[in-house]
Amino acid sequence: MSTPVASVDPLETMPVSPYAGVTRWTLRLWFAALVAFLYLPIAFMIIFSFDEGATPGLPITGFTLRWYDEMLGNRQLLRALANSVTVAAVVAVLSTIIGTMAAFVLVRGGIRYPSVTRIAFTLPIMVPGVLIGVSLLIFFARAADIPLSLATVTAGQLVVTVPFVLLIVASRLQGFDRRLEWAAADLGATPRQTIRHIVLPLIAPAILAGALISVTLSIDEFVITWFTVGNQPTLPTYIYTRVKFGVTPEVNAVATVMLVATLLIFAIATVALGRARRWSRRARLAPRA
Amino acid sequence: MTTRVVGGATLAPPTAASGGRISSLRRFAPFIPAGLILVGLFFVPLAVMLVFSFWSTGANLDVIPVWTLENYANFFENTTYVRTLFKTLVIGAGVTLVSLVGAFAVAYFLARYVSRRWARVALLIIIVPFWTSYLLRVYSWQAILGERGALNQVLMGLGLISEPSRLFVYNDIGTFIVLTYVYLPFAALVLYASLERFDFTQLTAAQDLGARPHQAFRHVLLPQIRPGLITAAIFVFIPILGEFLTPSMVGGAGGLLIANLVANFFKNALIPEGAAVGFMIAAFVLVLLIAFRRYLRVEDVYARG
Repeated sequence: MSTPVASVDPLETMPVSPYAGVTRWTLRLWFAALVAFLYLPIAFMIIFSFDEGATPGLPITGFTLRWYDEMLGNRQLLRALANSVTVAAVVAVLSTIIGTMAAFVLVRGGIRYPSVTRIAFTLPIMVPGVLIGVSLLIFFARAADIPLSLATVTAGQLVVTVPFVLLIVASRLQGFDRRLEWAAADLGATPRQTIRHIVLPLIAPAILAGALISVTLSIDEFVITWFTVGNQPTLPTYIYTRVKFGVTPEVNAVATVMLVATLLIFAIATVALGRARRWSRRARLAPRA
Repeated sequence: MTTRVVGGATLAPPTAASGGRISSLRRFAPFIPAGLILVGLFFVPLAVMLVFSFWSTGANLDVIPVWTLENYANFFENTTYVRTLFKTLVIGAGVTLVSLVGAFAVAYFLARYVSRRWARVALLIIIVPFWTSYLLRVYSWQAILGERGALNQVLMGLGLISEPSRLFVYNDIGTFIVLTYVYLPFAALVLYASLERFDFTQLTAAQDLGARPHQAFRHVLLPQIRPGLITAAIFVFIPILGEFLTPSMVGGAGGLLIANLVANFFKNALIPEGAAVGFMIAAFVLVLLIAFRRYLRVEDVYARG
């Protein structure tokens, strides 16, 4: 050991456990196994959507596009899809606006007990959907005498999506330097200009993330919807009744299409979020021109 | 945070620039729609459910507003119901434990041995299935675990079993596997977030000071990621208490959980009975959530996706 001590990182001369390599490889294999576990059902779903057999299962009998064809010819399914898209659009717009407005009040001291309020808004996200669903069913059908429809579905989903938007936007607003706003006002910006050019760009990523979570949750929402839905099914409740009461290979085709659609939304979202972040950064560091 | 001192003067909030002080009601106004949704569509319905749980079902399935404790008493006198409740807690605890261990191994691997950039890619890979339809993912497990499913085919191909087995589906095993599948990614996300902040050289330092690896792990690493472990446990355990879809798809008659009881009561229009069970779960969940309120970092779990 004649190496000058100062030039060597002491960590590099530390004795390494003889098991370090084994541990590392075990963990690597474990990660691979987990990914396989997570993607296995999705892989089967895609494979079965192209399988000729009317009852999905191995062995694969042959390639066909028949289930996709049946899916496109299934009026009820397309109507359910249209219902889902309508609800998701309304839910996303409403929850984004309502949640963002409330986040401002929550963070900027418009409320007496902000931490209690925050916990109260966490509850609908954490409480299992089945409880929200059945309590809304009792409330609508027995207590308030409101007929179940897509409106009650929308109301039920807002219970979960509004808190999501609120919490996400609030956490962004929390780390927001208010002096930027004061500076804008000081330099003669009207409140409206301040919001347009300073505040909105800064919190845009959070609002966008909230809107995206609302859309995804709404399209996929099954449990609350199942209890609050009238006679117009959404896509998940329609699929559930189909798979519950009979073998329906075209469901795999629907699932595959939805998977591709989700991945597309995901990709678009990533790009959009990147843009929003850049916009946000530009607003923060803008040359004072 | 950029501190910008303009011309030597520190910035202060502008004092009532355009006409008069904003009243506190006007400041509160934007909060009202969200508050109405939370109170009117969450707390009030839960309260209504509580009230209904103390009423009884009439002869033609209408709800009679006569106060009674019967719905609760009947639940605890029925051994099937009590066993279902107990089983839900056991399966919930089991899935939580398996998910925490499985997810910890992955999170530890990503945080310690993988560069931050690739760890993010790996996390994305883990999260993507979570954003695809929950219903359809559970449904496709039927094709794997079912009688004609892939697992049976593989086991038969290997000669381990001679005829298709119903061992894996329409029972508790099926429910257990699929619940782990659904909730493990949550745990991985939460645990990675806390391991990411852990300085692994501390383990080396501990060992340098004479700790055995397992001692360093137990006394240095675990205490520091304990909040993450608690958050992960909550995010797995509590949803399972309300799991209704997975058991109904792969659990069969034998693999039902407590939330299926609630759903079945409602399907048979036994509203007060269902309300009683529903309110018991809700009360238990609310107590857990309020007790562990410090660990409910919802933004951290979802906003990363």
